[in-house]
Amino acid sequence: MKFIIDLILKLGTVDRRWIFLIIGLVVILPLYFPMGLPIRATNTTQQVYNTIDALPAGSKILLSCEYGPSTKPEIHPMVLSLMRHLFKNGHKIYVTCLWPDGQFLAEEALDLVGGEEYGLTYGEDYVLLGFRPGGEAVIKGIVSDLRKVYTIDVRGTKVTEIPMMEGIHRFEDFDFLFSASAGYPGTIEWVQYAVDPTNIPMSTGTTSIQVNEVMPYVAAGQVQGIIAGMPGAAEYEALIGVPGNATMGMDAQSIAHLVIVIFIVLGNIGYFIERNRSKKY
Amino acid sequence: MLFKRQIPILIVAVIGSLTLFGWFIDEPNIKSFVDDDATQWYDILASFAIFLGGFNLLKMQLQKVLRKKSGWQYSLFAIGGFLLAIIAGFFYIGDPNVAWGTHVTAKGTLFKWIFTYMFAPMQATMFALLAFFVASASYRAFRIRNFEATLLLVAGIIIMIGRVPLGSNISSWFILYLSVLIGGITVNTIFKNKQYTAIFISVGIIGVTAAGSSMGWPLDEPGLFYLPYLQEWIYKFPNVAGTRSIMIGIGLGIFATSIRYILGIEKSYIGE
Repeated sequence: MKFIIDLILKLGTVDRRWIFLIIGLVVILPLYFPMGLPIRATNTTQQVYNTIDALPAGSKILLSCEYGPSTKPEIHPMVLSLMRHLFKNGHKIYVTCLWPDGQFLAEEALDLVGGEEYGLTYGEDYVLLGFRPGGEAVIKGIVSDLRKVYTIDVRGTKVTEIPMMEGIHRFEDFDFLFSASAGYPGTIEWVQYAVDPTNIPMSTGTTSIQVNEVMPYVAAGQVQGIIAGMPGAAEYEALIGVPGNATMGMDAQSIAHLVIVIFIVLGNIGYFIERNRSKKY
Repeated sequence: MLFKRQIPILIVAVIGSLTLFGWFIDEPNIKSFVDDDATQWYDILASFAIFLGGFNLLKMQLQKVLRKKSGWQYSLFAIGGFLLAIIAGFFYIGDPNVAWGTHVTAKGTLFKWIFTYMFAPMQATMFALLAFFVASASYRAFRIRNFEATLLLVAGIIIMIGRVPLGSNISSWFILYLSVLIGGITVNTIFKNKQYTAIFISVGIIGVTAAGSSMGWPLDEPGLFYLPYLQEWIYKFPNVAGTRSIMIGIGLGIFATSIRYILGIEKSYIGE
């Protein structure tokens, strides 16, 4: 018993580089040796899937990309899955970006899913309108007159010359909005400035850390479900039956979370032992 | 003084009032100003702010290098990166077949190369480091010091495990057994009596085993002890309640501050 207690106390003073090494290993090893843990969809992810699945074929979907390379592992897989789901159901995708780096990642996703996987035509089935600075002002601009905010797309083509832009003048001309958001400006601004005044349905995908601040909007029915972080992205991949990077990352995240919890528990045991000892003496 | 004080205050008061009333008055001209013109003004001002911010950053870093302040060597990288981005953005495309404007995202351009091979990996690396620091910090600092800390810790653990696939593979019966043991520790801490503790744990284990056997040990029942359900409940109810109260507080704060700006009471934007 004394040996165990001493070991726990010793662990409490361990050099943090050992902790870094352990975390590094538990993240890397499951990526090379996947365990294939079964993924169960949570209600909020299922709600996003059901909402999108219920849209009539040929719906016009506005997809807004508000994320960058730092949050790519969480958000990008859900954007890819969402695009696969939308293209499979025959919808048209219009992409805008409130973050400058979102434009690069949106283009990458559209090229992969729309171009390579589905062989669709740019300008007829999907279009990348790109980034505009201004946050909420851009959203308000899209709501009142999209063509004042976007005169050309990212390829420099005039919006008036893009076939799928015919009949698209303002936010209300879209059937559905999906905000892939990693922070400000993002989901909350879309709800406040676009969805609430127009009643156009919307769903969102966010980083795990953002879920708590978006949940009130989901609970109130202003947002139709939420894809929450990498686990949510993995759940969406499972729902559409195309496993991708999020599914691959789930084993690593599961083990890493478990190890962090073990660290916390061990740290607390050590804390209690030390506290009891100091009380005795 | 008139240009530095009264006129800016007047502009803020007039534009602020117009924008505010635009939400409540059904007047087409005011609505059009709020929805279209004001937002375009904002876009234009924001574009100038980017220039101002950029030049300010360059000035600060240059000053640091010229005065050789501590860490000035890092500023060299900042200035180098800044100049490289300006060259790639305004002067050198890298691919003669790509038009100006589209060169920002088009394949084969210097700007795209900088994003793909410099900006993206560096930003991803910075963010990835968080995992290591979170692990180290939670090991050293996440302590059960009082009731609030315990609540935070228990909720944190449920969310961390319940969100990932591992959590959905942990039977609710395992959590029940664990709860009995934690209950035993609590009983022992309160009564400091080994008999009471032994009775509590024995009855608890027998009760859980009997209930499990009769129900056939389903993984997700009773739902109260199934981690994915528990974490969903935490997100949906305690979290939503707490977040809503914070949001209402922030909303009222924004409202009060906006009114102070419009009425000219708050003048920090002109340095007062």
